[in-house]
Amino acid sequence: MSCPCCANDSAARVCAQTITFDQQPHMKTNSKFFILSIISVLLMFVLLRDGTVAVASEKSLLEEIKGINEPFDSRSVKQVRPVTQKTVLAKEEYQGGTFRVLARKHAIERYKCSSCHLDKPVLVTQGLELTHGNVIINHGRKGDELGCIDCHHPDDRNYLEGKKGRKVDFDHSYQLCGQCHFRQKRDWLGGAHGKRVSNWAGDRVVYNCASCHDPHSPRFEKRFPATYSVPLN
Amino acid sequence: MSSQKKDEAKTIIEDVLEKPSSRRMFLKGASIAAAAGSAALAASYMSAADPASAGELKLRWQEYFKKNYRLMSQEEKDETVTRLERLAKFQDNMDVQIGTEPPTEKVLFGYAFNITRCEGFMECVTACVKENNLDRKTNTQYIRIFEMEPGQLDPSTGDGQYYHKVPVDDKFYMGVQCFHCENAPCIKACPTKATWKEPDGIVVVDYNWCIGCRYCQAACPYYGRRFNWGKGEVPKEEITTKQHYLGNRKRPMGKMEKCTFCIQRTRKGKLPACVEACPTGARVFGNLLDPDSEIRYVLKHKKVFRMKEEIGTQPKFWYFID
Repeated sequence: MSCPCCANDSAARVCAQTITFDQQPHMKTNSKFFILSIISVLLMFVLLRDGTVAVASEKSLLEEIKGINEPFDSRSVKQVRPVTQKTVLAKEEYQGGTFRVLARKHAIERYKCSSCHLDKPVLVTQGLELTHGNVIINHGRKGDELGCIDCHHPDDRNYLEGKKGRKVDFDHSYQLCGQCHFRQKRDWLGGAHGKRVSNWAGDRVVYNCASCHDPHSPRFEKRFPATYSVPLN
Repeated sequence: MSSQKKDEAKTIIEDVLEKPSSRRMFLKGASIAAAAGSAALAASYMSAADPASAGELKLRWQEYFKKNYRLMSQEEKDETVTRLERLAKFQDNMDVQIGTEPPTEKVLFGYAFNITRCEGFMECVTACVKENNLDRKTNTQYIRIFEMEPGQLDPSTGDGQYYHKVPVDDKFYMGVQCFHCENAPCIKACPTKATWKEPDGIVVVDYNWCIGCRYCQAACPYYGRRFNWGKGEVPKEEITTKQHYLGNRKRPMGKMEKCTFCIQRTRKGKLPACVEACPTGARVFGNLLDPDSEIRYVLKHKKVFRMKEEIGTQPKFWYFID
């Protein structure tokens, strides 16, 4: 037994009841019956309403959220403090809009590289100081690590070099890293890899690849955790 | 003469006895007496705890009779905040700023946690402890990181008290904190309506209305709530002075507290302290109602799951894998 309007067994019984009351024209207009029918109609309404509420709560939060596509201007959030670190406008798009990344060049101690990488002669005694003896490359497959000019431009040391020979600015190193780590770059563009700087609202500023990873040894080193936990209660 | 005096006394007694007295008048007198008595009791209790100036006692007296935060007008909120700031100055000689920033419209906070990326460094935990002025004596922490065996997704099987070099090969790390459920069981369990869900989705506690019964702690299926066993001892130089009434302000002893998504930060557009501290970018935070937000990207493009999804609490905290 099911009701065409609500597909609810108990409600259907009430529906049927009301229909039978309505379909008896020769019945005496007894006040008792009148009240009963009103009550049953009210009951039906209550049951119907309960039914719809139950259906609504069955829809998951995730589905509800995914259904919301109204644009939100995150600049409408009050009291957002702009990021104070030095940033540059990224040469990529995020969800159809622009975003900024943390600048890198000012953090490189010996930039500009061309101040040393000239054709001028160098004394042997300066060698230790001037060569990059502190750089240990741990990037790439074991035993087949990358070399300097795999990323650095062989002729113009102020730039990096992409696989197809184009110059890549140090501030836009994601263009270089993304050639191999394209999955990470895709996630980084969307926001699933890396993170924003300080704010969730306001203009989107994200960390650059080299802000977190040492490009010469990108994997995080093993270390002790910052703290420890005690048993709960 | 003496008989005259006797007569006068007699008439006074008769006057008192014959004066019309009603039940209402009796109750009025009794209630005044009770109020005076309880006031004296409260005052004696307060002064017994520690010697305090008259100004501080007055502030504490006024604080004692304030309303639930949800019933306060903005004016009353400002008043109580000013009182709390002055009390902090009186008691700890601290200059704190306590805010009452309201939720922003069209904002619903959500959180995602990348179990592939987390390496168990627990920087988030220290940042949280620092930001939220958590009790250092009992080592209270809102966040707990579990070291998990591969294939397991239930943190109760993991190790929540590891202390060795991380990450360990073939293990993964899973962070647990308050999930800010849309259908939160803790709210239903509270007998004094001291905890509720704000319009931007943050489940908060009014520390002054909490009676410390811990029903909510029992009701929470995720062990997201913490009980304040002590007075909240924080070294003075480590206290975060930018506070929120519902967030990291000084909690009285014996109250429930929990992660508030750093309400004092997020209502001003900042990221929670744990997200900002995470060295691996495993934590994603944002507005669920913004289709361009990072959290929505994660929900759309990644494999996500929530803990104990089948119990219908609808947490706003998703785990995802790369």
